[in-house]
Amino acid sequence: MGNNLKNELAVGKNEIGVGVERPHSYTNILPYILVFPAVMVILLLYLYPFLASFWKSFISKEGVLSLANYEKTLRIYRYDILFTLGVTVLSTFIATVASIFVAVYLRLSKGWLSNSVGILYRLPIFLPFVVIAQMMRSFLAPHGVLNLFLAKLNLIDIENPLQLFNWVGLTFGFVWKEAPFMILIICGGFQMIDDSYIEAARSVGAKLPQIITKILIPMNKPTILIAVTLVFCSLVGCFSFPYMLIGGKSPVTITVDIAHRVNYFGDYGVANALGVFSYIMVSLLALYYVRSMMKKGLYD
Amino acid sequence: MQKSFFRKTIEIIIFTVFIFFLFAPLLSLGIWSVALRWYWPHTLPQKIGFDYWLQALGITKSLTLGAVNVVPAFLLSLGIAIIVVIITMAIAIPAGYALAKLKIPALLKGIILILFLLPRAFPQQPVFLNLMLMFNKIGLTGTVLGVIFVHIVVGLVFAVWITASTFSSIPPELEEAARSVGATRLKAFFKVTLPISTPGLIASAVFVFLTSMDEFTGTFFVGLPFVTTLPMTLYSASGSNIQFASVIAILLLIPSILFMIVIQKFLKAEHLGGMGG
Repeated sequence: MGNNLKNELAVGKNEIGVGVERPHSYTNILPYILVFPAVMVILLLYLYPFLASFWKSFISKEGVLSLANYEKTLRIYRYDILFTLGVTVLSTFIATVASIFVAVYLRLSKGWLSNSVGILYRLPIFLPFVVIAQMMRSFLAPHGVLNLFLAKLNLIDIENPLQLFNWVGLTFGFVWKEAPFMILIICGGFQMIDDSYIEAARSVGAKLPQIITKILIPMNKPTILIAVTLVFCSLVGCFSFPYMLIGGKSPVTITVDIAHRVNYFGDYGVANALGVFSYIMVSLLALYYVRSMMKKGLYD
Repeated sequence: MQKSFFRKTIEIIIFTVFIFFLFAPLLSLGIWSVALRWYWPHTLPQKIGFDYWLQALGITKSLTLGAVNVVPAFLLSLGIAIIVVIITMAIAIPAGYALAKLKIPALLKGIILILFLLPRAFPQQPVFLNLMLMFNKIGLTGTVLGVIFVHIVVGLVFAVWITASTFSSIPPELEEAARSVGATRLKAFFKVTLPISTPGLIASAVFVFLTSMDEFTGTFFVGLPFVTTLPMTLYSASGSNIQFASVIAILLLIPSILFMIVIQKFLKAEHLGGMGG
């Protein structure tokens, strides 16, 4: 009797043992099954073409390995590469300075004015570049609303309106779209700083510029750098807006050159070499971004 | 007293300039969409009306140069976006759950995370260009299916991030509690984790929907000239007819603004930068 019970228990134990092992091995491979489709999509439809752009940039028209595409790219598009870099740096710089000022204002100022600024500024974040492109085309045109307005204020000669379908309009549109996004991120960082720091600084006589440069900016350096990185990288790769604003005129950003190379010449070698130049432009900041996100944990 | 008055004046002047630059481009779009006749340099159009709206929406026939009926393009964009949302979320939810909740060896997890960070950091246009070359070989260029694939890639990166961050914000104790009273992992997921994470998952789905509706660069390479989504019709109207282009632009910005106002509180600030490349 006692033996039987023992046996039964042993059998039961054994069964439990088996039962535990099965879900165990199943749990072991479960994560891989779950991430597999997403990883495959990215590997096939992102990473493979991403690596192909490097590879194809070294294949000449005759199909041999050479630097011919780079030679041609630098010969024809040298100036456009510098133009892209210049406009992107300028836009990112203006957006950063402007957004820090607005974020400081929103952090330190109370009242209905700052409250309404705090809500309204978000609007451009949600608009796609293709809409912004059309908006800026009608706003910045030689006979557009901005020139009309400036002419009515007698700031410009009505017969001689400002020509803005160039780096100026491009920078204006970039800043219009990206500064609000930077404000959003930087504001989030500023909110984390306790009022007591600012009050302590004030009580020992710190003025506003010191509060900005000694407390708000240093304590939010990582946040600001991430904002700068995201904006810079997305502006280097922005295609729709320069394409619709400047189009076939020169100088233009390299994203537009890539489209022209493909559409008019079917020249994938030079198009890919231009693409590699755009990768190189963002590489330093992109590596910084990937590293800091890995350290922070992507979603914690 | 005088100093504070001075400061208030400065604040109001800066506020006015801010409002002008924020809203004047939008206003310009709105005025142009109803301007039937607007000669330079008149402050406002001489003749306004909704004629272009009616023509664009296919309510009245039009012989105007560059006139397009945007309804088919809108329906195409909508259809593509709905399919993209369904497929993308079906792929992203399991992946996000595994990354946030399950044990994956550190090295492999690191590689997966880098894989999902690259598209955010590097320009995507050269990738689309080579995707087009890939699709050329298998006959997907210029097809709706090809465009759907491109939109999935664009949306998936954000969807995985957002779902992963949604799942990781749920305390593991909840699911453990459900399992300790006998629920299987699957049951615990469907009865506990999924209902709590619904707002985050909906936010993620809306985000994917909008990236698909607004997608330009990938569709330009893979879809044109046969797949004309709403952004593509905006691009082609833009060069020929400013009123039609303005109408389409407004049609495109309405869903963006409406949805984002509703869901933005469920999204991290960094993700919002992914809107409409």
